[in-house]
Amino acid sequence: MQKKKFYTGMASALLASTVLAGCSFSSGDSDSSGDGGSEDQVTVDVFQFKVEFKDQFEELVEMYEEENPDVNINVKTVGGGNDYGQALKTAFSSGEDPDVFNVGGPADVDEYEDYLTDLSDTEAADAALEGTLSAVDRDGEILGLPFNQEGYGLLYNKQVFEDAGVDAESIESMDDLEEAAQTIDEQKDDLGIEAPFALPAKEQWVLGNHLANTFLATEFDNSLSEAYEADTVEFEQGDQMQRFLDLQADYSVGPVLSLDYSQQVEEHFSLGNVAMIQQGNWVYNTIESMDPEFAEENVGLLPIPVEGQEGKLPVGVSNNWAVNNESDEEVIEASKDFLDWMYMSDEGKKFVTEEFKFIPAYEGYEDQDIADPISEEVYEYASAEETLGWVFMGAPTSWTEDHLGSAMQEYLGGDIEWEQVEEQAREGWEDARQ
Amino acid sequence: MSNKSLAFWLFLTPVILGLGVVVVIPFIYGFIYSFTDWNGITATEFLGFENYINLFQEKEFMNSIWFTTKFAFVAVVLLNVFGLGLALIVTRNLKSSNLLRTVFFMPNLIGGLILGFIWQFIFISVFGDIGDLTGIEGFNGWLSTADTGFWGIVILTCWQMAGYIMIIYIAYLENIPKDLIEAAKIDGANGFQRFKNITFPLVAPAFTISMFLTLSMSFKIYDQNLSLTNGGPANQTQMVAMEIVNTAFSDNDMAYAQAKAVIFFLIVSVVALTQVYYNKKREVEM
Repeated sequence: MQKKKFYTGMASALLASTVLAGCSFSSGDSDSSGDGGSEDQVTVDVFQFKVEFKDQFEELVEMYEEENPDVNINVKTVGGGNDYGQALKTAFSSGEDPDVFNVGGPADVDEYEDYLTDLSDTEAADAALEGTLSAVDRDGEILGLPFNQEGYGLLYNKQVFEDAGVDAESIESMDDLEEAAQTIDEQKDDLGIEAPFALPAKEQWVLGNHLANTFLATEFDNSLSEAYEADTVEFEQGDQMQRFLDLQADYSVGPVLSLDYSQQVEEHFSLGNVAMIQQGNWVYNTIESMDPEFAEENVGLLPIPVEGQEGKLPVGVSNNWAVNNESDEEVIEASKDFLDWMYMSDEGKKFVTEEFKFIPAYEGYEDQDIADPISEEVYEYASAEETLGWVFMGAPTSWTEDHLGSAMQEYLGGDIEWEQVEEQAREGWEDARQ
Repeated sequence: MSNKSLAFWLFLTPVILGLGVVVVIPFIYGFIYSFTDWNGITATEFLGFENYINLFQEKEFMNSIWFTTKFAFVAVVLLNVFGLGLALIVTRNLKSSNLLRTVFFMPNLIGGLILGFIWQFIFISVFGDIGDLTGIEGFNGWLSTADTGFWGIVILTCWQMAGYIMIIYIAYLENIPKDLIEAAKIDGANGFQRFKNITFPLVAPAFTISMFLTLSMSFKIYDQNLSLTNGGPANQTQMVAMEIVNTAFSDNDMAYAQAKAVIFFLIVSVVALTQVYYNKKREVEM
């Protein structure tokens, strides 16, 4: 009996210890590249969010390590929007803060301001294109370096436009666009499409971020930081915003309120069901996976017409690299060198455009082939400075979706008038900025 | 609890530790944080009841509570009706009853997220096509209004959970002594009378369990809500759980969301416990 008890005791102790062992975790085993190193090596911990380019990024890091044997870079990737912010917070609060990490809009910059190094002495900061630093510029201190640029407008199906006899180049004003939509709508049976537009009104970000931004940019002087400091939002171009929303909704495949992003891009646009969608360069890979030929040959990009700002495309930076100023001096230097090398050296440039498929946010990429036709067009607009800012990133946290986007949905559902949309959104903004 | 030997506690340790580390301690921490301005990294200020006062004035939160309550009421009634109905069907000694049990239970094995996406397709595309073919207006535009969104989630939940509730009822139905039914039959009770006076009182304990399960479950629904409507249109079909997640992770208002979660916890526990208390009183001991 005694013996039996001993064994059960042992068994439970073992069980308990395995559970405990499972709970404990050690830091520093997160290396995904780099194979140890000698004493005088500098180790840089990179914590980044872009899962899509994890493999390519690690490849680039390996290239860099081969060239610079005294630098060892550890990459840790935690994916997708919300999760990253959370994981970064956890890393900072547990004292395992990384040396290089990502910050998004000005709200992120504020939150981590104490930890951000001034990067204005880097080559990349000098080469950054006009407007790409507005989220990270704090009184002349450049606290981050842009990842890449992204731009959106109306993507249109070239074939359908041609068949319908609509010349995309000549669409400059809202009237032109309305006329084009009407022309296409009249012959939709002959063209074999369902409707001119597909408006995914289920997605609050499509309405509140992108659609609204086009008509808010002028009000905030295209400056994200101006929006970030504004106490209120006037909706100076509110009537144009309403008109564009109505136009898309009236000529869209319906019902718009249950139409989502993937239906819009995959089912409707890629399969040629609609003539235009309001989206950006990020949909290219999706379209390509549906129909490579269509993506390569048949997709054009048209700026959303805004009075007084004709022919301008909203282009912005969605994320930035930041360097932790609490790291050792030599680590900070190594981090800066690495970022410069990535964006400014010939090898880096080639990798950034060809492998990452980025639209560069820097000067000096004229010789590089930008990966896809949509991105190429966006870069052209950006280099020619024919752009509108992404001021929505300076709006109060989640205002674009929770206040504006959701009010626009109510408007589309017929529950409220447009004046109320503006009013509700203004109230939300003012409450947040009190 | 009479056996307090070393082995007893050792066997219990992993569970207590697990429960403590992942449930009890975070719960206490969360409760404390809800009185501060915690942003996920640090809490700098003790706010007292400010978060709690604010949340009762927030329209969106109150809307989500009301929506969830409506949903819970409808879902509890329908789930128990369907659950008991299915259980009665499969305990009738039909040849196919084993197959039917499997079929009815099956939806419960599929994850809520996936089910949400499947039903989204059904509501939007299949319903839309049916509407176009038959010309019945009612089939068009599902999930694009708050009402269809509401019934969409109700249908999805019933379809998913009815099989699970059925299992509970089956267990109790099969435990009803055959002689009681037989005696009633001899006394001339018809099918409905037998159900009302014998079967129903004897499955009362199953009601207690099922009501508790369905009630707490319908209050806490998140994944079905997320994948089916994502709260849309205009956040009108947003349940409390989703509202809390959005406050915490998209508005980044951790302490405030924590306060909402505490209120939510209180509501769910009060409703569920009251319900158990009253149902317990009604149960018949054999």
